[in-house]
Amino acid sequence: MDAAEVEFLAEKELVTIIPNFSLDKIYLIGGDLGPFTPGLPVDVPLWLAINLKQRQKCRLTPPEWMDVEKLEKIRDHERKEETFTPMPSPCYMELTKLLLNHASDNIPKADEIRTLIKDVWDTRIAKLRVSADSFVRQQEAHAQLDNLTLMEINTSGAFLTQALNQMYKLRTNLQPPESAPSQDF
Amino acid sequence: MLFLSRRAGFSRCIVTCGSDGDVRIWEDLDDDDPKSINVGEKAYSCALKNGKLVTAVSNNTIQVHTFPEGVPDGILTRFTTNANHVVFNGDGAKIAAGSSDFLVKVVDVMDCSQQKTFRGHEAPILSLSFDPKDIFLASASCDGSVKVWQISDQTCAISLPLLQKCNDVINAKSICRLAWQPKGGKLLAVPVEKSVKLYRRETWNNQFDLSDNFISQALNIVTWSPCGQYLAAGSINGLIIVWNVETKGCMERVKHEKGYAICGLAWHPTCGRIAYTDAEGNLGLLENVCEPSGKSSSSKVSSRVEKDYSDLFDGDDTNNAGDFLSDNAVETPFSKRIINDDEEDDDLMLASGCPRQRSHILEDDENSVDVTMLKTGSNLLKEEEEDDQADNIHNLPLVTSQRPFYDGPMPTPRQKPFQSGSTPVHLTHRFMVWNSVGIIRCYNDEQDNAIDVEFHDTSIHHATHLSNTLNYTVADLSHEAILLACESTDELASKLHCLHFSSWDSSKEWIVDMPQNEDIEAICLGLGWAAAATSALLLRLFTIGGVQKEVFSLPGPVVSMAGYGEQLFIVYHRGTGFDGDQCLGVQLLELGKKKKQILHGDPLPLTRKSYLVWVGFSAEGTPCYVDSEGIVRMLNRGLGNTWTPVCNTREHCKGKSDHYWVVGIHENPQQLRCIPCKGSRFPPTLPRPAIAILSFKLPYCQTATEKGQMEEQYWRSVIFHSHLDYLAKNGYEYEEGTKNQAIKEQQELLMKMLALSCKLEREFRCVELADLMTQNAVNLAIKYASRSRRLILAQRLSELAVEKAAELAATRVEEEEEDDFRKELNAGYSNTATEWSQPTLRNKDEEDEEDTGEADDKEEKPEIHKHEQNPFFKNANSSDVAAIKSGAVISSSQGRVNPFKVSANSKEPAISVNSARSSNILDNMNKSSKKSALSRATNNENSPVIKPLVPKPKSKQASAASYFQKRISQADKNEDANEENPKNSSSETPVLCPQNTESQRPKTGFQMWLEENRSNILSDNPDFSDEADIIKEGMIRFRGLSPEERKAWTTKAKGGTTSDGAEAKKRKRVVDESHETENQKEKAKENLNLPKKQKPLDLSTNQKLSAFAFKQE
Repeated sequence: MDAAEVEFLAEKELVTIIPNFSLDKIYLIGGDLGPFTPGLPVDVPLWLAINLKQRQKCRLTPPEWMDVEKLEKIRDHERKEETFTPMPSPCYMELTKLLLNHASDNIPKADEIRTLIKDVWDTRIAKLRVSADSFVRQQEAHAQLDNLTLMEINTSGAFLTQALNQMYKLRTNLQPPESAPSQDF
Repeated sequence: MLFLSRRAGFSRCIVTCGSDGDVRIWEDLDDDDPKSINVGEKAYSCALKNGKLVTAVSNNTIQVHTFPEGVPDGILTRFTTNANHVVFNGDGAKIAAGSSDFLVKVVDVMDCSQQKTFRGHEAPILSLSFDPKDIFLASASCDGSVKVWQISDQTCAISLPLLQKCNDVINAKSICRLAWQPKGGKLLAVPVEKSVKLYRRETWNNQFDLSDNFISQALNIVTWSPCGQYLAAGSINGLIIVWNVETKGCMERVKHEKGYAICGLAWHPTCGRIAYTDAEGNLGLLENVCEPSGKSSSSKVSSRVEKDYSDLFDGDDTNNAGDFLSDNAVETPFSKRIINDDEEDDDLMLASGCPRQRSHILEDDENSVDVTMLKTGSNLLKEEEEDDQADNIHNLPLVTSQRPFYDGPMPTPRQKPFQSGSTPVHLTHRFMVWNSVGIIRCYNDEQDNAIDVEFHDTSIHHATHLSNTLNYTVADLSHEAILLACESTDELASKLHCLHFSSWDSSKEWIVDMPQNEDIEAICLGLGWAAAATSALLLRLFTIGGVQKEVFSLPGPVVSMAGYGEQLFIVYHRGTGFDGDQCLGVQLLELGKKKKQILHGDPLPLTRKSYLVWVGFSAEGTPCYVDSEGIVRMLNRGLGNTWTPVCNTREHCKGKSDHYWVVGIHENPQQLRCIPCKGSRFPPTLPRPAIAILSFKLPYCQTATEKGQMEEQYWRSVIFHSHLDYLAKNGYEYEEGTKNQAIKEQQELLMKMLALSCKLEREFRCVELADLMTQNAVNLAIKYASRSRRLILAQRLSELAVEKAAELAATRVEEEEEDDFRKELNAGYSNTATEWSQPTLRNKDEEDEEDTGEADDKEEKPEIHKHEQNPFFKNANSSDVAAIKSGAVISSSQGRVNPFKVSANSKEPAISVNSARSSNILDNMNKSSKKSALSRATNNENSPVIKPLVPKPKSKQASAASYFQKRISQADKNEDANEENPKNSSSETPVLCPQNTESQRPKTGFQMWLEENRSNILSDNPDFSDEADIIKEGMIRFRGLSPEERKAWTTKAKGGTTSDGAEAKKRKRVVDESHETENQKEKAKENLNLPKKQKPLDLSTNQKLSAFAFKQE
């Protein structure tokens, strides 16, 4: 899976918009949306929200957690904890990215939020690297990482599994026949 | 809290201290940035003389600071506990301090080693006063005594047991601030209970008492005027009284508006002003006290009312910024003047310097000063004070009255006019309007004075930015226009400015100037009109294009207005409310073609001690309003235009200071749109607030129980659908579907309640419930009752059903006679409802039998509620729908009403019952209602939610006919049959009880023919089980007949009905003509031209036409 696919999945996430047009319920395979009443908040999937926003048909209301104070708390908590802390949304990164790219005018303190999310992300990725490192070093058979989001798993997952495969290959091949010393020795 | 003294000649300032440990130095009363000196954790008392500021503070010391610099200058003396009062003597050389450790000390200010201690009190010292001649010192103590000491030898000259004993200053009833008469000290004034006792020097006998009838609580404090002629006293309930000591006459009575204890009083050294402090930390000034002219009170009262008013309504929000002094007094009741029982736990000590040279200031702990003063004639004081005008002092907590003092219910200040959905005017960024159309914001800061208009629906109009050079303060917004208004200024008249953006010509704006001295106070927009209420108690109506229309007088000053469609809703002051209540009246006018007043200045019910915060209409056009207690009320047109509370927004609030700011009300779906405001009454403009939706809840009893819940639901449904009746009555379009749904919902609830009551063995209640039901539902109820073996109940219910039927029949007859267009709309309803009656009974029996048969197997365990309900519910649905069903069946089969009737009446009741109950009918209903909605839509050029119908009164038949003619000719190109649809459906869908309708209706030719030929059809098509099939087949055959034959049948059918009354005859001609054409298409058109009266004749043609229409399909 690549990042674009993860993002695609995240676009199913519901966000709240305030439409400036009126439209009856629309019936889609994924479920009914609407009705859209001007000025009245309604929950729609992110993909629709962004589409409407791009056509200037709505204003976005940022998710509750997308707030500088709350994110600061989350960041500090994340930094303090050894393990991964639960994130406010399973696709916080994708949501932030998409919302900030397309609707930064509707989100107060967008820049700060961008920075904060990036901080959280960096912290978590660093943790992920460290744990992957120790996993490999200690040659553990399994490890459990809780509270990872799909995007995070996706960043290192593919590489890590391949790398482990490689290492496994190397290790098994390296098992030197008892008689033949390796070149190093 | 505080207190202080002022020296004329020296600094002209007022110094206060308080339990926050600060001493503040006020340049003047309106000094909003007083200099502050921190003297300790808490300051109990302070005194000022000769540039020395002496304070009694909480570390049990008496400190000196230089004044005005505030530099610490050493400690004068210490006690083992805190001192309660400190005073200077006349020349400022000594101070006396009294402490809670029962001691009084006199200390030389220059040399603090020179101390004299006075022992003898047996409880904490309350207050002290130096004899102006420096011979005596008077002290009052919690032990109940007032002692006078010889300063030289510290002996007690006299001890007077005057006061109530208590064990601590906190518990003392009065702080007993006694005072020597200035200039010689001939008299010592002591406040005792409700009077002031005056003792003669040396003899210490009670010279006389000063008292007044209006003193209802103990006096706290007395102070002499500098001249020694007057004596002022303050009580613990906020009364300040001034006597002339020589005449013993009362000069002035002033009541602290909030009734807080007066804990400090000081005369201005040279002029007639008294500064006072209260135990809540407020400082006030009385001016012109005992001035010879006696102009003290005249203008005070009036100014009080106004000022106070702004306080009441603008100042009560915590996020008021700006120049507004909010009255932030915590309304904790407290009885002691010295100590508050709240956390601040302030001790107030009033330390007065020499009476000649002091005045007091009170300040609040939060440093937001609520300064109050009475402003008359303040010019007199100009030389003395830097600025006595105190222009920005906003409230005056004192009521003064020269003459007998009134202590009864106090009039409530009238609330100011406001626009619904606006935030206070003094804010720099505010909402001028937030309604269902859009938002108008006003920015009024240094760089910019502008108005932003934004529409929720951008398709109405794009967002606009206007510069606000005229300083508009009120605004309204509709789908057609933006309306703005400003108050008059010195040069400019008050203006009404309309931006009519929906105008089709190029000039989209107009401005109207009000006459001189007339200010616009409230405005609103309706459909095609604008209204402005002015300060001259006039209501001015304008068309949206700017034509002046009616002007009429309002019965009182306007509070707010709202417009919707043709309705204008005005709220005004009917009079003065008392004790916090507002006294409002309401007018509701309809400004349409028939102008009329619906509400004639009725009182507007408000929650106690609340004021109005929002008025408006629901999206469906029902007037609503919200009061400051968060109660939303809605006009109940179904109950003689009463007001029903439909929601309490405060119930939804999390915090005590949270509120919901209402922006709109919708009846269908039931939504209360509002903005949650944390800790305030209204939202800020930024960040942009989000709308929340609350549900309605009527305040019914016991809504925790199933019964209460259902009752609430039922009545809510009734109230929230009453607008449909209103719309129907006034000739507006509305969705039939909604109405049917509502009826269905209500009947379902009634049935549930009935089942519940049945279960609870409340049969009487069952009958009461059944009384609310429609015929169909009553039938079901009977079935239900008989099935659950409650025969008496069933009996009663059937009696009820008969009664109902009779009633309906009666009303129907009446309505038949009436001949207006309202009836036209309802005709379908009344007809069917009536006709339903007899068959009901018959059918009922049949159904009963049948049902019991059917149900017998199911009914093995009727006791189980659920089980019981199921079959019943099914029935409920079908029966509720029956109303609809009829309409549905009719329209879906193109008016083929009669076939059902035929069968029902004749041999095959079972079939009819079955078909009635079959699920197909439900389907049909949906289809038909949709169809009818659709066809209606196509019939109208455009179909907004509410649209006036084209009225079709009889008198205008010709024009109506021509109208239809046109339409029909158009429609000819399409299928005529389709054209038929709306007709039939609109006239017949509302029919409630279809099956029975037919019994009384004259049969059509087709029906008669069908009756005769039914057996033929059946024998030809033995597989026809469905009545519909038979009819279909019948129609095909009927059409196969020659025109002559058909005509014969028709006339035959008509033969039975021609006697149906003069009306029918009159119309007969027309009908006959139509028959003569022999062409059914023609007939269809003719029929359309006829008014929709459901006369038998029409009906028969109608049915024939329907038959035709069916053929077309």
